Amino acid sequence: MADRDPFYVGYLDRIPAGIAGRTRLAVAILLAVGIALGLVLTFAQSSFDEGVFEFGVDREFRGVVIEKPYPMLLIPGTSGDARVTHYLAAYGKIGAGKFVDGLDGQSVRVTGSLIYNDQQRMIEVHTIEKIEGDTDDLKGLKTAAETPLGRMTLTGEIVDSKCHLGAMKPGRGKPHKACAIRCISGGIAPVLRVATHAGEVDYLLLVGADGSRVNRDVLKFIAEPVEISGEVVRAGDQLILYADPATYRRVVTGSTYELR
Amino acid sequence: MSLNYQAVLWNRQKKIYDGLIVLGVVLYLGMFVGVGSLVRPQTTIETLLIRGFGTLALALLHVILSIGPLCRLDRRFLPLLYNRRHLGVTMFLCGLFHGVFAIVQFHALGNVNPLVSVLSSNTDLSSLSAFPFQPLGLAALGILFLMAATSHDFWLANLGAPIWKSLHMLVYVAYGLLVLHVVLGVLQAETNSVLTLILAVGFVWIVSLHLLAGFGEIAGDRELTAAGSDRFIRACAVDEIREKRARIVCLAGERVAIFRYDGKVSAVSNVCQHQNGPLGEGKIVDGCITCPWHGYQYAPESGASPPPFTEKVPTFNVRVKAGEVWIDPHPNPPGTRTEPAPIEGDASNG
Repeated sequence: MADRDPFYVGYLDRIPAGIAGRTRLAVAILLAVGIALGLVLTFAQSSFDEGVFEFGVDREFRGVVIEKPYPMLLIPGTSGDARVTHYLAAYGKIGAGKFVDGLDGQSVRVTGSLIYNDQQRMIEVHTIEKIEGDTDDLKGLKTAAETPLGRMTLTGEIVDSKCHLGAMKPGRGKPHKACAIRCISGGIAPVLRVATHAGEVDYLLLVGADGSRVNRDVLKFIAEPVEISGEVVRAGDQLILYADPATYRRVVTGSTYELR
Repeated sequence: MSLNYQAVLWNRQKKIYDGLIVLGVVLYLGMFVGVGSLVRPQTTIETLLIRGFGTLALALLHVILSIGPLCRLDRRFLPLLYNRRHLGVTMFLCGLFHGVFAIVQFHALGNVNPLVSVLSSNTDLSSLSAFPFQPLGLAALGILFLMAATSHDFWLANLGAPIWKSLHMLVYVAYGLLVLHVVLGVLQAETNSVLTLILAVGFVWIVSLHLLAGFGEIAGDRELTAAGSDRFIRACAVDEIREKRARIVCLAGERVAIFRYDGKVSAVSNVCQHQNGPLGEGKIVDGCITCPWHGYQYAPESGASPPPFTEKVPTFNVRVKAGEVWIDPHPNPPGTRTEPAPIEGDASNG
């Protein structure tokens, strides 16, 4: 005979029939809501950038080292004297300073993993060694002239070149802010990500008004909409923004923003 | 109940409960990571795991915080409460995986210790858009760790119910910190308002449930003051109490559970010594008052747990006159035997 006043006691093996049916229904609803919630969250999250980090893939590169303001490798392009600039970083959130120390202007062979996005490239360096012998194809890479583009005022987001190019997804915005601070304070080159009127994205390497590195000075502006006025030059395939970080300023406060 | 301690006293119900928890966790994470990698192929497995564990932990926290007030509003939810601590530990582990993965992803392999980095990378408190959200999550994780680590009855017995209960009420602080962690963190980068809406609905749901349950408690806490010629106070009519059940009244600021059973009436404090569960919402099972939360038992005449258990609750002297229950509002010391009041004319009163 069914208990007309069923009572649940958790340590008993059997749950009263009248309670069991309702509990099964509640659990089924809970599981269904959980799965539905997960699906909605999955589809509702924003898309991620297309950057690629060839983690675990070791490539070899030949080029000329730039030591300052940030470690870079200039590699011959495929069209004559054009060069392709590759930022250099060490494993993790550390710049490649220890790899390029004393190698400025030297022809080197680098092994490492490629990171790339939006025509920007970086190598996570595993080894680096000077090339002994024929380096004719590397001559003149460093002497490419800088073309002044004039004084500009740009609004964008300061990102670390490693994560944003593909090491992290997402590699920009508030969720990534602390990581970008860690990377840039660790020596990785800071760049200003700006959206163009054509809906594309440009990246400008940030240096001081005198061309010096500015890692420490930009930390408080990272992942915030920031306006920077300075001299813009094109050096080969790279845009460089010369500006004193003391003149940077935040332009919007709020929970979200749209780069323009 | 409280004699010996084992990691888990497994029984069929616990195995089913935990099996369902594992099933839910696997389904959710499998779906989040699997579908996520299909619809967002640009992302990485690390990011999907961080987000999957994080959203699952927060969803489980909503379930956990809902069970208490739901049980206050409707006793049919009580089977969800018995093993709630298992759900809590699962939620903590999901939060821990989220936190560890995020700390490794965003703070490891840098120029400072990862935990130092969490606290020191972003110290900009000047605006909501810049506010550091990760330390909020770390603080919440610390609270959830304390709760998970002390969730066993061993700690309840050794810390004492007041301290243990206070510690576990910090779950509301953790919930607030986690809501801020999400609002000041990922929601600042996401543009889909559905995400904000889901969090807002969850927050309103939790607050509303607690307010509803709270109002219900307050309504039932009207103080009884109709004293008779002596210090006994009229509590209720005998007929208002179902057989083997109780009616809860408020006397001198304390809730008292008046049980009717076998032609008699006895009254004890409404507060279970285990986790302060409402004894008056329990039932007489095998001759003992049985708490609806975790089944702790007390003899109705003495308020003492049957040997070898040692819990005791205060008892109250009770009388039945003309079909009405009268109670002395002054509690007897816990475990004091009192004579049950016979119900005149009750057929079961032997």
